[in-house]
Amino acid sequence: MIGKLKNIFPSLRFYAPDKDIYDDKYQWFLTDEQEIIGIANDELSTKELSLLKTFLTPYNIKFPPPNPNEKKWIEMIKDEKIHYPIPGHYRFVYFSLRYSDIDPIPFKEAIQELFPKDVPIIWENEYEGVMIEIQENDQEPVTYEQIIDVLMSDLYGKIYFYVGPFQDNVDHVRDYYFSMIKGAKTALQYSTKSVMTYTESVPFLLIDQLDADVKTNIAEFILQDFMNDKETLKMIETFVECNLNISETAKELYMHRNSLQYRLDRFQKKTGIDIRQFHEAMTVYLAVIAHKK
Amino acid sequence: MAELNLVNVTKVYDKDVLAVDKFNLEIRDKEFLVLVGPSGCGKSTALRMIAGLEEITSGELYINGKLMNDVAPKDRDIAMVFQNYALYPHMDVFNNMAFGLKLRKFKKDEIKRRVDNAAQILGLEGFLDRKPKALSGGQRQRVALGRAIVRDAQVFLMDEPLSNLDAKLRVQMRAEIQKLHQRLQTTTIYVTHDQTEAMTMATRLVVMRDGVIQQVGEPKEVYDYPNNMFVGGFIGSPAMNFLNGRIEENNFVMNGVKLRIPEGKLKPLREQGYVGKEVVMGVRPEDIHDEPVFIDSSPETKFEAVIEVAELMGAETILYSTIGDQEFVARVDSRTDVTGGEKITLAFDLNKAHFFDKDTEMRIK
Repeated sequence: MIGKLKNIFPSLRFYAPDKDIYDDKYQWFLTDEQEIIGIANDELSTKELSLLKTFLTPYNIKFPPPNPNEKKWIEMIKDEKIHYPIPGHYRFVYFSLRYSDIDPIPFKEAIQELFPKDVPIIWENEYEGVMIEIQENDQEPVTYEQIIDVLMSDLYGKIYFYVGPFQDNVDHVRDYYFSMIKGAKTALQYSTKSVMTYTESVPFLLIDQLDADVKTNIAEFILQDFMNDKETLKMIETFVECNLNISETAKELYMHRNSLQYRLDRFQKKTGIDIRQFHEAMTVYLAVIAHKK
Repeated sequence: MAELNLVNVTKVYDKDVLAVDKFNLEIRDKEFLVLVGPSGCGKSTALRMIAGLEEITSGELYINGKLMNDVAPKDRDIAMVFQNYALYPHMDVFNNMAFGLKLRKFKKDEIKRRVDNAAQILGLEGFLDRKPKALSGGQRQRVALGRAIVRDAQVFLMDEPLSNLDAKLRVQMRAEIQKLHQRLQTTTIYVTHDQTEAMTMATRLVVMRDGVIQQVGEPKEVYDYPNNMFVGGFIGSPAMNFLNGRIEENNFVMNGVKLRIPEGKLKPLREQGYVGKEVVMGVRPEDIHDEPVFIDSSPETKFEAVIEVAELMGAETILYSTIGDQEFVARVDSRTDVTGGEKITLAFDLNKAHFFDKDTEMRIK
């Protein structure tokens, strides 16, 4: 196919990473074989461009081209029957550079420097994708809360990470991949945290499944008069995030622990719910999340 | 050279969560400005809006008179140091400092010049070929500072850079950052929740709460003349004592205790109609005295108290007790030999006390 295209478009050539960065004189495409080809813009009419897009995927040259390892992962995600061996546990880490001005190539360069071995990155589009962290032997998993700061200070932009659980095999890699992307987008609607794990996001994912009416009912029945009391809602969230520890929550909110006790008592008196009890705290926490959206 | 001007800068998340509300501030060239406040007060959000990591919902940010709202972070000529001093684990110190410049396509000799210069400033010359795991916590934090210094930026933004260090190292690094600022004279905006850090490092302090600036001033001014009860309570450790009572004629009266208010303090209370009304008196722990000389010269503010706990801190002793059924803390000289359960005489230095409106919590001045 490439040969035939070359006859029609003599300017056609394969991507050369060292020469073609930010070369906007070419229109770039990704073939089914994951090869990147370029055709000079002045050789393409609008009609021809539309026709090429029907069987080739337009490619943004600002993306780093997929390396052989990344191509394998893309194949596995595209076709669940294809399985390649992996050297250890792996986890998918969704990232979003949406609200930043970070180019994919420096982002990839910086990510690679944080890990001992190649980290395959699959780009969904120019501002989001999934990186694949492979953990071998006793290697410590990376703490994304820490690395996000070093990345942001070098790349000058806001980054979000949504960290998936480790997996041992690639049997359900396709489902895992798409559930990570969907989960990340849902979780980011509920939280402004830069790093969130799949585990942390489960309450958000559950609540998001509910109909709007059910969410409203939960929020109204549980939170009652406190529905619009932002201070109390913040206190509840902080209390749960501090593992129902009164001293820690009081410190976090810069409040005397007696004042916090008083507010928890007041909540109990008005709603009959004792947030100091784990199962009741969890219910109220879910109601706070339901109230958010 | 950098002057920053924030005009009505506001940040709203999810349409209704107000993180920063009408932040107005002029930051002077070469200043070391500290944003301080409890968790969730909006200080980091304010810093991140200056950095461009958070979009400004409304208001304007100017750097050297140029509107920056829509300027990309990388074009704002700023350098950032964050709380986590994580470094690239597989790079040596030189490359950790150089990496940001490499990404920005600086020439090799320029990178070397800048890294060598930063290493010399930070005393890291002998560590340039070491990997982060071979460095102590303090050395790693210095490398993190070095990564900012090499940018040669006109503004440094530091978001709780010392909060992950242990107490001893924090004190040491505090002094190092101050020395660095004296040497580089770069306009610095520093965020912390630690009021001691804020007091000791700032040229000026900005105290924030719930997204709103409570007070801006030099550390001593903020400490001595807090605008409101929040500032009085937040700045200073142990915190300022707040005692509820009533102004009766020339006295502050609480539950059976009558304290004579000095004329200078009484004047605004009288003029603003507080006589006969409930107010809150704020007294710093160090303004409660146990020295006989002071007590003898202050017969109208002395009282007896049973000490519940006496904490010997070394040079000073912290006493916990009650007056008129209200708890207070006093900081006295550790030569005072007081133990828990003992009854002693103390006296307030009411010349240094403040009175706050009970409803608005604002200082009556």
